[in-house]
Amino acid sequence: CASAPNPKPGAAPSCPAQCHCEQDGIVLSVDCSELGLPEVPSALSPLTAYLDLSMNNISQLQPSAFRRLQFLEELRLSGNQISSIPGEAFSGLYSLKILMLQNNQLSRIPAEALRDLPNLQSLRLDANLISVVPEESFEGLQSLRHLWLDDNALTEIPVRALNRLPALQAMTLALNQIWHIPDYAFQNLSSLVVLHLHNNRIQHLGANGFDGLHNLETLDLNYNELLEFPGAIRTLGRLQELGFHNNNIKAIPENAFVGNPLLQTIHFYDNPIQFVGQSAFQYLPKLHTLSLNGATDIREFPDLKGTTSLEVLTLTRAGICLLPRAVCQQLPNLRVCTLHSAVPQTSFCFSSGLQHNRIHEIKADTFVQLTALDLSWNDIHFIHPDAFVTLRSLTKLDLSDNHLAALPLGGLGSLTHLKLQGNPALSEPFAEDSFPKLRVLEVPYAYQCCAYGSCGGYFRASNQWEAEGVSPEDEDPHRRALELFPGHADNHYDLEADEIQLDLEDSKLHPSIQCTPSPGPFKPCDHLFESWIIRL
Amino acid sequence: MHPNVSQGCQGGCATCSDYNGCLSCKPRLFFVLERIGMKQIGVCLSSCPSGYYGTRYPDINKCAKCKADCDTCFTRNFCTKCKSGFYLNSGKCLEKCPDGLEANNHTMECTSIVH
Repeated sequence: CASAPNPKPGAAPSCPAQCHCEQDGIVLSVDCSELGLPEVPSALSPLTAYLDLSMNNISQLQPSAFRRLQFLEELRLSGNQISSIPGEAFSGLYSLKILMLQNNQLSRIPAEALRDLPNLQSLRLDANLISVVPEESFEGLQSLRHLWLDDNALTEIPVRALNRLPALQAMTLALNQIWHIPDYAFQNLSSLVVLHLHNNRIQHLGANGFDGLHNLETLDLNYNELLEFPGAIRTLGRLQELGFHNNNIKAIPENAFVGNPLLQTIHFYDNPIQFVGQSAFQYLPKLHTLSLNGATDIREFPDLKGTTSLEVLTLTRAGICLLPRAVCQQLPNLRVCTLHSAVPQTSFCFSSGLQHNRIHEIKADTFVQLTALDLSWNDIHFIHPDAFVTLRSLTKLDLSDNHLAALPLGGLGSLTHLKLQGNPALSEPFAEDSFPKLRVLEVPYAYQCCAYGSCGGYFRASNQWEAEGVSPEDEDPHRRALELFPGHADNHYDLEADEIQLDLEDSKLHPSIQCTPSPGPFKPCDHLFESWIIRL
Repeated sequence: MHPNVSQGCQGGCATCSDYNGCLSCKPRLFFVLERIGMKQIGVCLSSCPSGYYGTRYPDINKCAKCKADCDTCFTRNFCTKCKSGFYLNSGKCLEKCPDGLEANNHTMECTSIVH
């Protein structure tokens, strides 16, 4: 089709029909998106720097469609039906930096068309049908930094084609059918910082699979079929974020991360991990979160020597017999620690979340600088009067489902959340001023809530409910006591959400402390016949 | 199907309603809530709006915010174009280029010092 005549000097650059154009100095931004266009408009001004043709019905590009656009920096062709691109379609676009071809029907990389784009930095080819990546695909792209090939049909890593991209910094090959990573797959990608490989079928990873990735900081191997720990990561000295959750890995070996001293986050949940090497998590001074759920074969608490920045440790349903005394010194920054089902018949020097253990006794000087402590589901019969005295900053304490008959109050003045249900012998009510900052309380018996104004509050509120046609049973269960601890196995506790929720509840006609079980007609506050047993 | 949900929708919508725009998208598109006055309208895009990056998953494609100092990004921790006043260096936005690199005020990037 005939190209538009050159505009007269000084005349405003022409804007294709239906499109929206904006002048930016001497150059033009042209938006022709979502117009149902069947092909690229012809009357494009040579001064076009930004051209958006996305979300139209373009299935073919005319060979000369963009030939005069030497100022073009960004070209958006995403969301069309392009299945192939003529070799000269992009020739002459020497200023092009961003090319978006995602959400089209390409089945192979249009190598010929990409041959001569010396300044291209970002190339989007995601959400196509690409299964073929010719070796010369990226030959002319020496400035390419960002490459999207996710959501295609690749079965192999395009090793030879990738070897031509020395400037590449970020790449995603996620959502393909890649089943293995051969040795030296990314050999020349020394500038790569981010590599996403999630949602593939990777089972095998060569021992030298990641050689050459000297600057890699983020590696995402989540949702694959890895059978073994990805030992090839040992060469990634600058790695900061690592994810391999949702794989089939059964063991984390000794010195697993010895080559990755800069690691800050490691996500590996939802693996059938049974064994964890004692030294696996040593010398990771930047690591702040470590969660080891369900590692049933762990017999000893991992040695965390040199992993001094850890703030959150979750170690549930493990088989640990003893918590070493040194662990307090090793983890000076730990705020939240969750240790479900771990330690039997022993005292320990330090913990904060020990659900589902067989802990029998808690001695003095056991806890240090904690904000949350979860000791639910143990066999605790006795707590030393000074056990909590050092815990000035403790705000959340869960002692539910133990065998307590008494609770020492020393050190618990800052509590906002306290859970004690499931301790049948703990029958004494608490004085209202025992916990001045308390907001959520769960106790074994309803009458223990009466000290917190729940009785009157309950009846007034219940009348209120009846008046509004809302019976207590209709009350949204979510407004009952909330699950309390981050990292607790069955609770996605979000501090911010909880605070908002509590503020909301405060504004309503509710007692300031949310105490459960709520007393009621059949769980009265007063003694019946001089005996509290009758009112249980 | 709910009476207000229609099938005959525009662009990338799979289902939509007169009041809320797109309710769901055709496969492989990103669902984004755009605010127009007090209303929120669902739109389906082939790429996330400026200031957001997209992540594709088998069942949904999501947009999430870049960092505050970043205009466009590949992931939250990897910026591709910084906001004005910041220099881009390997995916990070810096107020000052590190030693050994010099600030290019034209491209707003940190580049190797050419001797």
